[in-house]
Amino acid sequence: MKLQLILLWLILISSIGLAQELDPLEVRPSLATPRLSIPTNLTTVPVVNPGEYFVPPYVEDIPDDNFGELVKIGRNIFVNTQKYGKRYVGNGLNCTNCHLSEGRKANAAPLWAAYGLYPMYRHKNKEVVTFEERIQDCFKYSLDGIAPMVDSPEMEALVAYAHWLSKGVPVGIALPGRGFTPIKKTRTPSTENGEILYKTQCAICHGKDGLGYKYEDDRPGYMFPPLWGPDSFNRAAGMNKVKTAAQFIKANMPLGKGFTLTDDEALDIGLYMWIQSRPYDPRRSIITNIFMPPPGGCE
Amino acid sequence: MKKLPKILLIITLIGGSLVYWIQNQPPPIDEAARQAGEQLATKGRDNIPACTTCHGSKGEGNFAANFPRLAGLHPDYIIKQLQDYARDPLQTGVKLEPIARDYSKTPRIYSDLTVYTPGTRKDPIMNNIAKALTPTDRKNLATYFSTLPFQATPQPVDFQTLERGADLALRGKPEYGLPSCDSCHGPDGKGFGPYFPPLAGQPPQYLIDQINKWQTGKRDNDSLALMQNIANQLTDGDKMNAAAYFSNRSLIVNWK
Repeated sequence: MKLQLILLWLILISSIGLAQELDPLEVRPSLATPRLSIPTNLTTVPVVNPGEYFVPPYVEDIPDDNFGELVKIGRNIFVNTQKYGKRYVGNGLNCTNCHLSEGRKANAAPLWAAYGLYPMYRHKNKEVVTFEERIQDCFKYSLDGIAPMVDSPEMEALVAYAHWLSKGVPVGIALPGRGFTPIKKTRTPSTENGEILYKTQCAICHGKDGLGYKYEDDRPGYMFPPLWGPDSFNRAAGMNKVKTAAQFIKANMPLGKGFTLTDDEALDIGLYMWIQSRPYDPRRSIITNIFMPPPGGCE
Repeated sequence: MKKLPKILLIITLIGGSLVYWIQNQPPPIDEAARQAGEQLATKGRDNIPACTTCHGSKGEGNFAANFPRLAGLHPDYIIKQLQDYARDPLQTGVKLEPIARDYSKTPRIYSDLTVYTPGTRKDPIMNNIAKALTPTDRKNLATYFSTLPFQATPQPVDFQTLERGADLALRGKPEYGLPSCDSCHGPDGKGFGPYFPPLAGQPPQYLIDQINKWQTGKRDNDSLALMQNIANQLTDGDKMNAAAYFSNRSLIVNWK
């Protein structure tokens, strides 16, 4: 009798346990890649080896002549686009939000790796584009604004900055650290996993709503840039492609901890960013923008 | 009949602006908590010494003896640090936990291992003081110190040190993948939000000591192990240059 009671009690308890659905956040931050949870005193090792990438000249070495003046203006526009390039910019971003460390960091689309490769054929434009035309696309799509003319002072300054930064790079050769990092998909990305990863890894800086945080003083722009919403890049930007976003995230995010997420986790976050609302694609009509899926989804 | 929409429009505009104004008001200071915090900070209690004996009468810190400033820090940051001081350090040895449930803990990533440890701060003085504080005490102290005004006195630093420190603070070390200090700690190291404390206005030796503690594992209460990763890539020269640069910054908070 006692045994039966105990058995009944056990069945009851186990059925309650089965009926309760576990919140995925309660179980594991990443459901796709199970990880052990062992407290250790191990520390991470830096992934970037010195000497692996090209080192651009230092800011203190900007020449003290007319060229140097132009380079300084270009650096100002590049670092503080919200102030010095505002007349062409439609959202709250700076160039340095993607081109990290003032366009110097390898695997964060460094200017020194791009400058020597142009003019170059681009699939997006379906033609050979010059460096100036490439910058125009940045303004039109990533900065959701209008393209500066190729002979505008802003464009000349930006080209001068890129030219100075890539002093000594070989022309026409893809350097290591160019663009972001290649990634390989081993499963279909999931938005559920992306949301979990976003909340655990990204939300501390970019906010739970993904709208970033503005500066606390009166300076324009964002301390932590918005990943979606009206002040972010538009649907035609390269960063709106799931794959490109994942490549950037894997190499650089969380800031200072690049290469800690796996390829699939980066793709999950990229897909989660892609499904959010952001400014329309300026190349498409308003009807197409409303009723068609935005470009850049995972194939 | 013609006047009605106009009146409605004016009322909507005024009401809308009023709602916007109210919503953008800073939250009022909890005056009772602030006064209780002031009482505890200046007088102390039983076995808790007064905070002001080390951290300065206005929470401005002590540059000569490396006691950090508390005035104008984010209240949530102060509360978190006091909690971490009070927490006992992790038991040594490996404990298998197939399901990690406590996500208030900081994830540590080492290749394919995610390690969850509660953050701790080892300090011979503060550990014992923080253990004697109640959660209400922490909130009161945080309210008091976060509302104190503070004005930094820029320290004279030689030009080369300043230049190297500025390079680290504004650009980091991109060839090592190290981000700049200002990209998280705010422009001029003013601090940003509850997770990124100010570096400007802190004693330089205090900043160096903290990075040393991260490197040796005596402090590991940072979110997402961000600072641990960065500290592991800093040389002794980097620490000194960056700390000197931030001691040279001017800063004014809560000043009326």
